[in-house]
Amino acid sequence: MSIQNIDLPPSVTIEKADDESEEYIMNIGPQHPSTHGVLRLVAKLDGEYIKEIVPVLGYIHRGIEKMGESQTYVQYIHLTDRMDYLASHFNNLCICLTIEKAMDIGVPERAEYIRVIVCELQRIESHLLWWGVLGMDLGAITAFLYGFREREMIADIFDELCGARLTTNYFRPGGSFADIPDTFIPRVNSFLDQMEKMIVEYDTLLTNNIILHERTKGVGILSKEKAVAFGCTGPFARGSGVDFDLRKHAPYSVYDRFDFDVPLGKVGDSFDRYMVRMLEIRESIKIIKQAIKGLPDGPYRSKELGSYKLPKGSYYAEVETPRGIFSNYMVATGKSQNPYRVKNRSPGFSNLSVMNELAKGLKLADLITIMSTMDLVIPDIDR
Amino acid sequence: MGIVIENLPKLLDPIPGGSKLINTVDYIANWARSNSIWPLVYGTSCCAIEMMSTGSSKHDWARFGWEVARATPRQADLIILAGTIVEKMADPLRRLYDQMPAPKYVIAMGACTISGGPFFYDNYSVVKGADHIIPVDVYIPGCPPRPEALLYGIMELQKIMCKETIRETRKKEINAVPSIDAMTVAVQEWEAELKGKEAGLKEEAKKYKEENPDYKPFKQPRKIVEKFEKVERVIHPEVGKPKTELFEKLLNQFPFLTLYDKEETNMETVEAMKADEILDFILPTDQYIPVINFVKKNADFQMDLLLVVTAVDWLDHYDVIVQLTSTTFKHKLFFRTPIPKDDDIPEIESLSQIYPTANWHERETYDFFGIDFKGHPDLRRIFLWEGFEGYPLRKDFKHPEIIARPY
Repeated sequence: MSIQNIDLPPSVTIEKADDESEEYIMNIGPQHPSTHGVLRLVAKLDGEYIKEIVPVLGYIHRGIEKMGESQTYVQYIHLTDRMDYLASHFNNLCICLTIEKAMDIGVPERAEYIRVIVCELQRIESHLLWWGVLGMDLGAITAFLYGFREREMIADIFDELCGARLTTNYFRPGGSFADIPDTFIPRVNSFLDQMEKMIVEYDTLLTNNIILHERTKGVGILSKEKAVAFGCTGPFARGSGVDFDLRKHAPYSVYDRFDFDVPLGKVGDSFDRYMVRMLEIRESIKIIKQAIKGLPDGPYRSKELGSYKLPKGSYYAEVETPRGIFSNYMVATGKSQNPYRVKNRSPGFSNLSVMNELAKGLKLADLITIMSTMDLVIPDIDR
Repeated sequence: MGIVIENLPKLLDPIPGGSKLINTVDYIANWARSNSIWPLVYGTSCCAIEMMSTGSSKHDWARFGWEVARATPRQADLIILAGTIVEKMADPLRRLYDQMPAPKYVIAMGACTISGGPFFYDNYSVVKGADHIIPVDVYIPGCPPRPEALLYGIMELQKIMCKETIRETRKKEINAVPSIDAMTVAVQEWEAELKGKEAGLKEEAKKYKEENPDYKPFKQPRKIVEKFEKVERVIHPEVGKPKTELFEKLLNQFPFLTLYDKEETNMETVEAMKADEILDFILPTDQYIPVINFVKKNADFQMDLLLVVTAVDWLDHYDVIVQLTSTTFKHKLFFRTPIPKDDDIPEIESLSQIYPTANWHERETYDFFGIDFKGHPDLRRIFLWEGFEGYPLRKDFKHPEIIARPY
């Protein structure tokens, strides 16, 4: 029996080709600290070398899309917080963009700038967590402590902004549910000052570390063609040189007004993906600085809160989250306040599907490196 | 050793001073145990991030003596259930708990593990309370709870541990009561109580009015609603090749294509579309593969990135939806193929030969809608397990675990 055909392989036997064959099957997860949640991998190994990796999903499948069909459009926003909890603002924004498109709701200038600042802050927050956890996965616990130190500053800013550190639920169609507090801008400024100093420290600690180089350079090379064929997006694909960033190439909100670069990798190995994310933190700082400079006065929302009845049709919106393209596709019948069907594209789902191609032929320890540079959030994949 | 400890209280308690000895042993053992808790690294979703925050530099749970997070249950004595537990995870969780050496403790962190939380209603996969699977000692409410709340929760657990004695082991049982919709019950009770109160109040008010004819009822101040000016929506310019060009080229090649949700399929309709609208074509089933193959390979389209394959259940038929984009030009095209619902398992060709990423997307669609993709190399359920009855995103899906939202 092929391993592919088994949902839960408890007693998989390997057909021994000859006596020297050392093939065996090992189970990793669903409870494993390096799978960043409850991902389960079934690895077919030959000695220490990987022959095949079969990801088994669904250990945190919560049926959010089904639930969306019995919630109103605005209620659905809070559920998306719990999908990709490291990018909750992005998910909220995507739902809001869909509703705005359908109902033809405009967004005031100030609200657009707030959206950009908040989203880019969260991109830094997400990358910081990824950076810390990558260090920890590769055996450097110090990186985890450093990364979380700055991450806590952003969590505190969000806490003051909307009352939650993680599941923010801040954006609404036409703006956000509240204006930014007076202390928001000074706090963001002081964070940026700290971050600019600290990112140099990060480079000293990990980026220029010979052990990191040894463990990531040349490991898990993803070619540009393969990245596109497997639907990879975000920094994961940009590490392989796929020049596709929605902020730059299909701008939403007011991203077309800012000057920033899209960092691209050349080789497509784990180190390139690492460098792309580290450079993205710098680009995000650049965007936030420009947005704070241009932040206008005025209303923070253009529409009273309330329930919406979307006209008949299907609507699509997408955003560039720290992991790639997150999209929201809503089908409305025009008769009820609930969507008829919701579909969210999670970037991690497509990114993970290339795992087998990357890990084949490598050693088991390299699998952890590859998983770390994928920056997986399992509830986002399973939904 | 276990037998000796079990019988020790029986032997020592009758001896003068013996009970004090046991109390002292209890005190020392509990003190040592409660200040060196080794939690298991167990996080399923959002709460895990807050658990990591608690362990990191700012909140630093090492201050309280429970810093050694273990990755294996055999070395741990506490599970912090950080995140939702779903049906598929229930069995591994039970196995983890059974592998832990006693005495073992469980903290349910967050609303999901207490009752299902935000996933209580209309849900087919979330376990409504982790205490249905393993016995829980401390519950920490929140969604997710703040790191301070987790610290407090573990301190509460320490208090529980300090009250233990070797005279008798504390009984721990799982919650055998089936999950009930406590919210609806509470609301009904509250409404009934209010009804009785209101009847009494009305009589009192009547009496008071008769006694004081000058009384004027209190007028509630008007609720101030924030007003916002309407703003014109900014529509970003079109990305990639213009829609009209794509439309013309595609129609030249395949004249049978029709636009979805539009009255007519002609150039005027396309020109009238907004800049951020996306061309959405209806494909006949027999032309599904040729058209998608064409837009992928043709130099004018180059739709090389498949975003999504999914479906919509329209009661009388399914629409299989394919969303494509081009990494070169950055434009998008959507296609939909209606397939009849006559059979139990509807069929369509698989895209996995054209786009490798379609493999997983089609598995997901099969999992949710039960649509069979012919020629798929490995068609099996991806999120749910073999043996799960029904296809959840079909409109006629019924599941015994689903509790409908009452309001």
